[in-house]
This record gives sequence, C-alpha cells and structure tokens, in this order.
Amino acid sequence: MARNAVNSEGRVAVHDLVKRFGSVAAVDGVSLDVAAGEFVALLGPSGSGKTTILMAIAGFEYPTSGRVEIGGEDVTWAPANKRNLGMVFQRYTLFPHMSVAENIAFPLKMRGIGRVERERRALAALETVRLAGYGERRTNQLSGGQQQRIALARAIVYQPRVLLMDEPLSALDKNLREEMQLEIKHLQQQLGITVVFVTHDQTEAMTMADRVAVLDLGRLQQVGAPRDLYEAPATPFVAGFIGETNFLPGRAVAAAAAGETLAVDLDGGGRVAAVAVDRLAAGAALRLAVRPERVRLAPSAGGLGGTVVEAIYAGVATTLIAELGGERRVRARIAAGTGERNWSDGEAVDVSWRPEDARAFAAGAAG
Amino acid sequence: MSARRPSAFFLGGRHLSEAASLALLVPFALLLVVVFLLPLGTLLHESLLVPAPTLEHYERVFAQPVYLRVMWRTLRIAFYVTLVALLLGYPLAYVMSRSGGLKLGLMAAAVLLPLWTSVLVRTYAWMVLLQRNGLVNEGLTGLGFVDAPIRLLYTEGAVVLAMSHVLLPFMVLPVFSALKGIPDDYPRAAQMLGASGWSTFREVIWPLSLPGVVSGCLMVFLLALGFFITPALIGGPQQMMIATLVSQQVREMLNWPFAGALVGVLLAFVLALTIAFNRFIRLERFVGTRS
Amino acid sequence: MTAGRPPRQGGVGRLLLHAFAYAVIVFLLLPTVLVAPMSVSPEKYLQFPPSGFSLRWYGEYFADREWVEATLFSAEAGIISAIGATVVGTMTALALVRGRVRGRAVVELLIIGPVVVPHIALAVAMFLVYEQLRLTGTLLGFAMAHIVLALPFAIFTVLAALYRFDADLEMAALSCGASRIATFRHVTLPMIAPGVASAALFAFIISFDEAVVSFFISDLDRKTLPRKMFEDIDFDVSPVLAAVATMLSLLTILVLVLGHFFKQMADRRAAPAREGKTP
Ligand SMILES: Nc1ncnc2c1ncn2[C@@H]1O[C@H](COP(=O)(O)OP(=O)(O)OP(=O)(O)O)[C@@H](O)[C@H]1O
Ligand SMILES: [Mg+2]
Repeated sequence: MARNAVNSEGRVAVHDLVKRFGSVAAVDGVSLDVAAGEFVALLGPSGSGKTTILMAIAGFEYPTSGRVEIGGEDVTWAPANKRNLGMVFQRYTLFPHMSVAENIAFPLKMRGIGRVERERRALAALETVRLAGYGERRTNQLSGGQQQRIALARAIVYQPRVLLMDEPLSALDKNLREEMQLEIKHLQQQLGITVVFVTHDQTEAMTMADRVAVLDLGRLQQVGAPRDLYEAPATPFVAGFIGETNFLPGRAVAAAAAGETLAVDLDGGGRVAAVAVDRLAAGAALRLAVRPERVRLAPSAGGLGGTVVEAIYAGVATTLIAELGGERRVRARIAAGTGERNWSDGEAVDVSWRPEDARAFAAGAAG
Repeated sequence: MSARRPSAFFLGGRHLSEAASLALLVPFALLLVVVFLLPLGTLLHESLLVPAPTLEHYERVFAQPVYLRVMWRTLRIAFYVTLVALLLGYPLAYVMSRSGGLKLGLMAAAVLLPLWTSVLVRTYAWMVLLQRNGLVNEGLTGLGFVDAPIRLLYTEGAVVLAMSHVLLPFMVLPVFSALKGIPDDYPRAAQMLGASGWSTFREVIWPLSLPGVVSGCLMVFLLALGFFITPALIGGPQQMMIATLVSQQVREMLNWPFAGALVGVLLAFVLALTIAFNRFIRLERFVGTRS
Repeated sequence: MTAGRPPRQGGVGRLLLHAFAYAVIVFLLLPTVLVAPMSVSPEKYLQFPPSGFSLRWYGEYFADREWVEATLFSAEAGIISAIGATVVGTMTALALVRGRVRGRAVVELLIIGPVVVPHIALAVAMFLVYEQLRLTGTLLGFAMAHIVLALPFAIFTVLAALYRFDADLEMAALSCGASRIATFRHVTLPMIAPGVASAALFAFIISFDEAVVSFFISDLDRKTLPRKMFEDIDFDVSPVLAAVATMLSLLTILVLVLGHFFKQMADRRAAPAREGKTP
C-alpha cells in the first residue's frame, strides 16, 4: 500500500471543546492538537468523555461549543460522511450481508471507484492486515481478531488522512490484544497515518501512542509522551491513574515555586524533601506523591520510621506495605534480582526517597 | 467546509436531523390527516355543529331507552366476550408458555391462523355451524339433548360465542408473552419455599402475568365494543350492538348527526381507555409469528 | 420420578390443563376447518360429512363474473395498499428510531389510532368524506383507507426489525463515506429486508380481508371480495361461499408460512457474528 505523505493534511485539532448532555458536561473545555502522522491515545476512566471527543472529531456528535479542525480546515459542522476519516469501533461493525472483500470495497464504492480498481485495492488492503485469501468469506466465519483486522482494512483502504479508533481491542482476549497493539502500531508507522485511539487501558495507551492525553470528568489532565506522564505527572489524578502512587498529606515548610525543592512537614509527623509541582505558599496544604519503586527501605535508624505490615511476593517484584504512625501506609516495590534483603512482617523500617522522586501537589489540585 | 454553525434543525450527527425526520413523517401525517382525522372530525362536526351548535343528538343517545338499551347491551356483550376469551385464552397461553419446539410451533400456528383469517370467513363458518339444520343442532339432537333443532343463530349467546372465537387470539398472544417472560426460577423458588402448585400460581405467576392479561383484556374489549361484522350477521335485531345501530342510522335513516353522536360516544369511551392503558397496547405481538 | 429433576407438579391437574388447552385449540380451528369439506360437497345445501367430492362450487366461483371481478379488485387494492403501507411505514419507523421527532407522543398515539378506533366509526366517517371527495368505489379510495388500517402493523413490524439491527453499522457506513441515502440503501434496507417483507405481506392480507370500511366505501359496481361475501352471506348461505372461505383460509396459511420464512431470515441476520471461529 502506498505510503501516505506526511503533511499537514492529517493534522487533527480540537479547540475549547465542550459537549453537554442536558446539565452534564461530558467534555468540558478540551483543547488538543494532534500532528500529522502522530499516534495519540485518549486515556481515562469510564465516563471521562473519550468517546464523546472522538465522536465530535468523526462528526457523529456536534459540540455545544468549540471547534474541530482536520488538516487545518474547520469541520465542526461537516457531516460525518464528508470528513474522509477512517473509523474502527469497539464492536466489529462489519456488514453481515456482504463478504469480507465487499466490506473492504464498500468505502471505495461510495467514492465512485470502478469495480476492477475496487477489487485490486481491497486485495491490497487484505494483504496489509495479513489476511490475504479471506476475501470471499462471510464475516461470521471469522474470529474476533480477524473481524477487527477486516474493519481496520475497511477503514484504511481509501487512504484517509486520519484513523479514529474507539477501544477497538477491548473485546479481544489478552494475548490477541497485545499482538494486535503492535500490529496496529506498525501499520500506523508504515502508512504514516494520524491515529486518535480511545482506550481505558493505560498499558495499551503507553505501548501504542506517541503521546497520551489523560482525561478525567471531561477535562484534559495532561498530554505528553508516556515517559513524561509516568515520571512527571502534572496532577495527582495522573499520578494516581497511571501506574501506582503513594499519596501522603502534608504542609510546605517554606514557600516554593514550581520545580523548586522544598521541605515538607508530613501530617502525622516527619519532615521530608520533595519537588514542588505547583506553586506553594509557606504552610500550604499539599499532597506528596511517591512511586512505590522509588521508596527506599532501610533498617530503622530514627528517620521516617514505620513497621512492615505485609510483604507480597509476586515473582518479578515484591511489594512491601509499611505502616507509618497515624494510619499512614506506604507501599514500596523491590524488583527481583536487585539483591535487596528480605523483610518480614513486624520489622521496624526506615522509609525514604530521593527528593526528586517525591512530587508535591497543592492540596486543592484536581484529582 | 462549514465553518458556520448551521441551525440545529439540520444537524444530524449519529441520528437523522430534525428536518430529515420531519420529511420522513410527511406521508404518514398526510395520510392520517386526510383518511383518519379529517373524516372523524367531519363526522363529529356533523353531530355537534350542523346546522347550528347543539347537543341534542347526544341527549337523544342518552335519553331514549332504545338507544340506552343498545349501549348497555354493547357493554354487556363486550364484557362477556372479554371474560370468555380470558377463561379460554389464559390456560392455553399458560400451556404454550411452558412448551417448546414443535408443540409450541403448532399451538402458535393454531392461534395465528384464525387471527389472520378473514373475520368474514370465520363468521360465515359459525353461521354454517349454528343454523337450524347445522352441525351443532345435528349434534344436539343426535345426542338427544333436545328433541327438535333449536334456534341458535340470532341469540345473544351465539353472538358472544362467535365474537369470543374471533377475538380469542388477541387475548392469547399478550398473555403468552407475559407468561413467557417469567423466568423459570421464580415458580421454582416459590415451590422450594413450600408453596403448593395452586398458591405458586396465585402468588407468583398470576401477578407477574397481569400486564399481559390487562393488555389482552383491553384489546379484546376495545375491539368487541365496535365490532360490526359478527354481530350484524349472527345477531338479530334483538342483539343489535352500537356498530349495527350506527350503520343503520347512516344507511337506512341517513341521519348523519345522530350517527355522529353515537360514534362520538363510542370514541370518547375508546379514547379514554386507550389513553389510560396506552402502555399496554403492543401491536408487535400480533404481527407474524413473533412471540 | 427421577432424581435431579424437579418433581412434576399435580399430575391430574396438569393433565386437565393440557386437555383444556387442546380443547381451546380445537375450538379455535374447528369452524374454519369444517367449512373446507363442506365446500367440496356436490349438494346444493351444505352438508357434513359431504356426500361426495366435487369442485362444482369452485367452478361456479370462477365462472361468476362478479366474484372474479371482486377478487381482482381486492387483489389490486391489496397490492397497492401493501406497497403504500410498507413504504410509508418504513419511513415512519425510521424517523421514530433514528430521528429526532418533536411531539413523539402525538405521533405514537396517531399510530395506534387506526387500531383502537372502531372500524365502524372510521367506516362511516370515511363514507361521509369520500362521498364529497368522489372517492367512493375508487381504487385510490380503497387503497388510502386500507393503507391507514394496515399502517400500525407495518410500522410496528419495521420498528421491531430496526430495534434488532445494530445501529453502529449505520455509523460505520457513514464513516466509510456513504451518504444517508446510500447508507439506507446499502446497509439498513438489506438488514431489515425480512421485516419489511413481512410488513408488506401482512398489509396485503389486512387489505384483502378488510370488510367493514369496504362495506361503506364500495359503490354498486366496484366492490371488494369481502364486500361481495358480506352481501351474499346476508342473502343465503350458499356453498359457493364455502368455497371462497376455504380459498381465503388457504391464502392465510400461505401468508403465515411466508411470514414465518421471513422471520427465520430475520433471525439469521440478527444472529451476532460467531467469535473464536478459527480458519
Ligand atoms: N447521548 C448521551 N446522552 C447523555 N449523556 C451522554 C451521552 N453520551 C455520553 N453521555 C455521558 O457523557 C459522559 C462521557 O461519556 P463518554 O461516552 O464520552 O465516556 P467514555 O470516556 O467514552 O467512557 P467509556 O470508557 O465508558 O466508554 C458520561 O457521563 C456519559 O454518561
Ligand atoms: Mg467510550
């Protein structure tokens, strides 16, 4: 299949998108710019507005306010069939009364392309999704993964500039899902097509996407490369939603600007160092976020002390739960093979971390 | 493309736009206005406003004992028909709901066949059976129940019998649907808890099947009230129901205002019942072999 | 009683119940079934059991110009009504399921109107208006009346088909670049075709068998088959009528068999794609 030229044709942007259903704001002022040829995943819990945003881009839902642009053109109010997008849905939406080849050729037929050319391109698309020879089958003679590959072939056969996918893999079992993730990713790179991919599975989003847009309650929390999201979450929500995080409430000892290191008095006792994410006034309430694998444990020596209450062995890593005073619990993860000593229940332990591994969010921050 | 926001009226998205929906409804609306609302409106107009606004025709319906008797008889016959249909239809629907496969298929066919057979054909069949030298009389005399053939046609009993037969499918299908919808576990659970067969029925099955019973009774009663063919052919003047009276007023007396008043009374009754029980009217049950 | 199965309740009661149900079925079928043998009796009056076998009364039906004309007229009205009710019914159902309709409650009430309003009321009302519009005895007049009577059933049949059909397929077609009309033609219509076919079938039989309205809007020389039957039944219970009744019953059986066939087709179409089937 011909490689699409990567130019601004495939750029997708939404500006200040708001969509209300009655009094509920499903999408509440989201702006997102997807570059041509980029793979962006929309990630968020159920009901966070992912599908609604995708539907606004596709033309199946019209925004209450805001704009949608494709290739620099304002398409906010254009009908869905005029947007020249490819779309793959969660359920396999193959037309049951058509053969596999007819399904794939359908968009070409709608574009007035002649039969011979249609067949040629349908066959090529079948090869692209590695299902050559399946053209004459009925759609109900295919497995779930095969059906979704056909749906994919149907969505790319007319070489659209943008491909939209709404949880296309969530109906597949785990192994197949992982295989398809890589396959779609490779196909996207090969075609140079822009992809907006909705998922509620963070691993899937991190595996596939160049950038991930995290949504909660209709608001964009953070957009960034998977590594940035994990290592520098912008909000407590992102910190908690992507990977695992220990949250500890406390107060700033002195004022600090965003990015500065500051001293924190933890509620319930103990003073630790951390990096401020938000601007913090002296004495301001804050939430400290530390990843379990960044927590260090040492035999008790009068630091931030606690007791090991549980050790959970899971092969690749061991998770220890340490109780500090005042009902506070901290999880620490020790990867296998790092030569760390074994801890057992009831042992006294000192908990610490490097200042740059602890992030302090203003307590009012979303999430 | 379209940078300006078009009127919401033309926006489709996942659905059809309001404009398209409206356009799709135009033929329906036209037909119903011209062939349904306009005729009924004209008839009621005759009864109320011609030549001057008056309630005299409606007063006549309720003041004259002859007409009161017809209306009372109509209600009585409709009630008996509903009752007979329920008594015959419920057990059949119950057995159907507990059967499956070929047995259910044959039973369903036996109910659907009469439903879709011309009312005239079925009424004719009853006339043949019930005539003086018909099969029923032959049977009765043959078995020695009566000495000589008795008059069966042109009696209220015959009207009720034939109408019940014609309307029975309208009872069986909704009741069957309701009974079919009761999960097997409910009666089973009731029996585990010690209920006898009869009390399981009374406490569990009957209450759960009530929506179907209401739906069936409503349908049969509504249809019976305005039934024309069967009472006109099987009943005599002594069994005249409101439909026959309306027909007579129109065809023999040419008394449109009075016929309009009769129709008005009938419509008021039917409309009140329909609006009160709207949610029980489920036409899809009567179409094809849907269960 | 075998272990593991729930005990059968009330042996005698169950037996009586089933006997009663079968009796009701006999009651439902018997009258029409008895007419069939009577129609092949050679005698001038109806007899059961028939004294012999003869198609004399069928011959008389086909030789009688009035019967044949009434039948053809009914067939014409039936076909036009079937087409009309199906087209209008499908449009209405589409608007209700896929569209945004203001005053939906009014539309829904209007749909059941022709079913709950007694046919006698409609018949005399149409008689009144048709006289003025000169529609009495015309094909157009019959077709319009019968379309309205058949519409509720047509609409509900198509509605049922639309509800079973996965609306996401329409979104998929639109996203493939199909216009609304192309989506309907290439995706929606093929998927609901069995439902639409049943709607047409049942609209036809409703029109073909309709007696009350036809009784009032016929005129002396254009009458439908049921109207002709009605007149003749009132006149005398002739064996020709038994022949007509038998043929009408056979037609009903044919319609139901076809309807069943369409339903099976619809079930097959609605069957979700099987998963996990390996090549
Ligand atoms: N047509 C609608 N009418 C009313 N509310 C809606 C409609 N569509 C979506 N919503 C609401 O908008 C919010 C966002 O829905 P959306 O489908 O975009 O969420 P999502 O992120 O895709 O969730 P999921 O992961 O469950 O698919 C939800 O609260 C939902 O209930
Ligand atoms: Mg969603």
